[in-house]
Amino acid sequence: MKIKSTKSEKIETQMAPMIDVVFQLLIFFMLTLKIVEPEGDFSINMPIGAPSEPTNELPLPDLKVKMVSDQNGNLVELMLGQRQLGNGPKAFENLNNEILKITGGAGEVASEQQVEIDADYNLRYEYGIQCIGACTGRIEDGKLVRYIEKIKFTQAKEPAEANP
Amino acid sequence: MKFTGSKSEPIEVDMTPMIDIVFQLIAFFMVITNFEQTQADERVKLPKNELAKPPEVKRENLLTLNIGYERDKTGAKKDDNAYVFFNGEAVPIEGMPARLKTESQFYGAIDTPLDEVTVQIRADAEVPIGLVQKLIQMCQADDVKFQRFALAATQEVRQ
Repeated sequence: MKIKSTKSEKIETQMAPMIDVVFQLLIFFMLTLKIVEPEGDFSINMPIGAPSEPTNELPLPDLKVKMVSDQNGNLVELMLGQRQLGNGPKAFENLNNEILKITGGAGEVASEQQVEIDADYNLRYEYGIQCIGACTGRIEDGKLVRYIEKIKFTQAKEPAEANP
Repeated sequence: MKFTGSKSEPIEVDMTPMIDIVFQLIAFFMVITNFEQTQADERVKLPKNELAKPPEVKRENLLTLNIGYERDKTGAKKDDNAYVFFNGEAVPIEGMPARLKTESQFYGAIDTPLDEVTVQIRADAEVPIGLVQKLIQMCQADDVKFQRFALAATQEVRQ
């Protein structure tokens, strides 16, 4: 039996196309890297005039979250009802835990319960969002556990000293 | 019998340029989709929250209001007054009721009930919350009457 000796030619690796593709991949992954972070939003429940719906049951009293700020818009005190919850990042964690205690997690109470956020005029908006986040629920194992859906704001308070 | 073998050379398909082009296209469309959010204003630095989830169903009637500061290239504020960036111009908050009224009339003209319109407020993290509340109140005024509101935030991904 004859075996044709295949002339083993030297395989020339062409580097140019490979580099092309590698660069393409690089650019591709750089772009997929989140440049624009995903944007979400919180629905807030602010019906006009808020007419009282005729129901047989007594409506649950609103939970009142109060946020006191200083002149520069920093959070000085976070309060749930009369309870003081502090002012650091821990404060919002506390608020989240308190809300969980009150509503008992997601369920009927949670869907009926309303939160009213009463913030000082100067307070920075990011605290407002944190507060809404703390009332809304928490992330457990990558899933959103929702506590309260109905969140509203009080009327804007005019700053005590409008133009210092 | 002799075949004069016409040596049929195997046609080599060079995949490289094709892959190049395909990647170019993919990259192109990805960049395009990133810039698609035309209503978002890059001057507004949204607050972050891990619970801010993009809505599952895309809202059909969305009126986006951007509130933020005029910033220079480094991101520093040019002045301390917050503006509503509306149709390409920076409007002080006092100028909004008239514009909101026009918007409201526009939805009336195209027969869209106002309770189906969501006003999405994209406010800068540093804006005083009172301004946001004021803007919501303006949206609820008797001659405007928007009813649904959403507050935007970027989704913070916890590592």
